[in-house]
Amino acid sequence: MTDKKMISLILGCMCILLSAGIAIQVRTIGGIGTSTGSNSTENQLRDAILKTKENYDNLYEALEKAEVKLETERTNATQNNSELTDLENNIKEANKQLGLTEVTGEGVIVTLNDSTVPLTGSTILSDPNDYLIHYEDIISIINELKNAGAEAISINGQRIVANSVIKCDGTVIKVNGQKIGTPFVISAIGMQETLAQVNRYYGYLWKMKNEWNLDVSFERTKNPITIPKYTGTIKFNYAQSQ
Amino acid sequence: MKTKTKISKAKLVMSITIGIACFALMLVMFMQFKVVKQTDITSIETMRESDLRTELSDWKAKYTELTELYDDVTSRIAEYQSESETDEETAQLLQSELAELNEALGLTDVEGEGITITIQDNGGQELPDDMGYVSNISETDLLVIINELFDAGAEAISINDNRIVAMSDIFRIGGAYLQVNSEPIRSPYVIKAIGDPTYLESAAYNKDGRLTALQEAGHSIQIESSKNRKIQIQKYNGTISTKYMN
Repeated sequence: MTDKKMISLILGCMCILLSAGIAIQVRTIGGIGTSTGSNSTENQLRDAILKTKENYDNLYEALEKAEVKLETERTNATQNNSELTDLENNIKEANKQLGLTEVTGEGVIVTLNDSTVPLTGSTILSDPNDYLIHYEDIISIINELKNAGAEAISINGQRIVANSVIKCDGTVIKVNGQKIGTPFVISAIGMQETLAQVNRYYGYLWKMKNEWNLDVSFERTKNPITIPKYTGTIKFNYAQSQ
Repeated sequence: MKTKTKISKAKLVMSITIGIACFALMLVMFMQFKVVKQTDITSIETMRESDLRTELSDWKAKYTELTELYDDVTSRIAEYQSESETDEETAQLLQSELAELNEALGLTDVEGEGITITIQDNGGQELPDDMGYVSNISETDLLVIINELFDAGAEAISINDNRIVAMSDIFRIGGAYLQVNSEPIRSPYVIKAIGDPTYLESAAYNKDGRLTALQEAGHSIQIESSKNRKIQIQKYNGTISTKYMN
């Protein structure tokens, strides 16, 4: 009797789980179906975007292989000559400084999230925009990290380089032309003691937390942080060295 | 004893069958979830036609840029591979690569077409009609202006001859003084940017831009486009540290 009960209970749980899964799927696919509509121009555009993306991904893969090959060729060409090896090392260092390599090191992680304060009671009449993270907040926090001695910074996996743009595009924030959403996780590599300045009393982060009630956190990680490389291109068409 | 083993055998078969069925179902579900996740359909599926067009042109531009970079890398490989090369030629190749990297890092003086923006901080001046006083230009104002110029394709920017590099910061150090790269600066702020002058100009005059907002707030702004005329931007004088990066 107890055995049977157990079995039926387990079966029941399984069924509920499966049904929930199926329900979620149906809803997801249903959602896609409605927005797809019957507009053929839009569908063509979607196809074109997917195709370009695919081409881009393929080319990027080829580029990565070519870069590895370039490095081996360079090493081959410079071996047995210390002067040339020095030059090669300078090139490696410059690539690292530019943000063209993945780097690991000690550092901090700042997480920014919209406010969790519910719009009730005394706050019901306030502007909901005051409870969101704006691109200016991100620019300011990154500026603080740079001031505190950061050597490499990324936000939601996007490496910050000299020409990186953080902008507001309608309701989304774009970094390096890529859309990112909350929570904004900003990683910075550098000396932890100086980077901790970002978390100082009455600093920008402190204000975000205590005056604007935004959901922010600061973490000195025990383990080294890894920051991905910049995947865009850096090319000058107007500026020329003198 | 006999009956008991029989029952448990039947039960065993049953539970195994059910187990396999459940496992298969789960597998299918996870596969589906994965497919839905991979296609990244939600972002472009919900876009409208105009958004889709900009998205497409963005990706096409990125693809073109990547093609150029790829051609660049492959031609370099070919150069290193060419058999007849002497050490001298290799050194030249390495030097030219390094020169390009240093240029991108902001470690060389550069010149080119661009724009010069001069901002006179009128902070403290009285506003007409008893509207109070003009507030000082802040570090955020300058950060946002730089961001807008880079968005318009600026390749090199300096503020009062301090080159903006990847880890440049702008801070208030009290009173009317700001600092860029730890160098104190004060009004008038002269921002130079090299890039396509047409794009840079339209960013500077953008009615939703920060420069327009500062002008409306009572500051004096002068924009000078240098089409067909070169402006010079100095190199970064500091060092770029990589001590903590491995």
